[in-house]
Amino acid sequence: MAERVEVREGVLKENDRIAAELRGALAADRTLCLNLISSPGAGKTSILEGTLAALRATPLRAAVLTGDIQTERDADRLKRYGFPALQITTGGTCHLDASMVKRSFATLPPDALDILFIENVGNLVCPASYDLGEDAKVVVLSVTEGDDKPLKYPGIFRRARLMLLHKIDLLPHTRFSRDAAVADARRVNPGIEVVETSCLAEPGLGAWLRWIDGQLAIKRGAGRPARG
Amino acid sequence: MHELSIAQSIVDSAREHAALHGGRRVLRIGVRVGEISGVSVDSLEFCFGMTVKDTDLDGAALDLERVPVRYRCGSCAHEFHPVEFLADCPACGHAGASMVAGDELGLSFLELE
Repeated sequence: MAERVEVREGVLKENDRIAAELRGALAADRTLCLNLISSPGAGKTSILEGTLAALRATPLRAAVLTGDIQTERDADRLKRYGFPALQITTGGTCHLDASMVKRSFATLPPDALDILFIENVGNLVCPASYDLGEDAKVVVLSVTEGDDKPLKYPGIFRRARLMLLHKIDLLPHTRFSRDAAVADARRVNPGIEVVETSCLAEPGLGAWLRWIDGQLAIKRGAGRPARG
Repeated sequence: MHELSIAQSIVDSAREHAALHGGRRVLRIGVRVGEISGVSVDSLEFCFGMTVKDTDLDGAALDLERVPVRYRCGSCAHEFHPVEFLADCPACGHAGASMVAGDELGLSFLELE
């Protein structure tokens, strides 16, 4: 006689368990962890290059784990800024999961970090489902992609804490409506923060760097006072 | 296409629960798939079939329940399926509703022999 057993648990509970371990390890060092997600070509790697270049002038210690299906190209680009950058080559998988991040994180130099950036595989769908132990998911939407993405890919806009409206200097050359993009992102996620960025022209990455600073302050406030 | 790894997670969890119930054969696995969970029901069904083929779970049925996005009005508590995520309550017109369903991805039941 068949018996029905009620089960209430997330399908990705093993991923979530590993993510919780990672989150605990990062919290012990008060490391801010940001998971950058976008479609391919939105500008994640360039944003990280500009970010690392700016962080060189600070005492902050950062590292990047960057995911792609193939090639070490992104890690090669990111290593030039003097911070550890490791490639996670997924070999076909369209997203990073917590176990990939955990394995890669374990091979970073053992020094405590202020910021760990995770650059996810370029994809607006699958990465949204996976907790990587991050403090915040950051979705990058470049204006050349179109302003309809928040309603077409609501999952990631719902789960992101911040949306970077990127390549904003190109706005006059596109039909992208920044008001529509922001309004639609806030439909799926009323609390989402929005910062405008460009790697090549004004307004630069300043507002994003200030956002990171704010998140670092929150992260440190959550634990003991910041190191002297 | 992350449905293959999701199918594998479902199968792992089903085996784990079946083992807790004396290792009985799994006949049916119930899974709730939220509308914005990012999971394609068709490809999950396909991947599930591939994952269980020639294993102890071969023949187990996957019972996928699609869960539409549902909002609850912050003013009158009316629940509704929003049009393109608009938070305007169709009952009272209040513009502040929050999502109460639609982004889940979870096991709901197992049917064991």
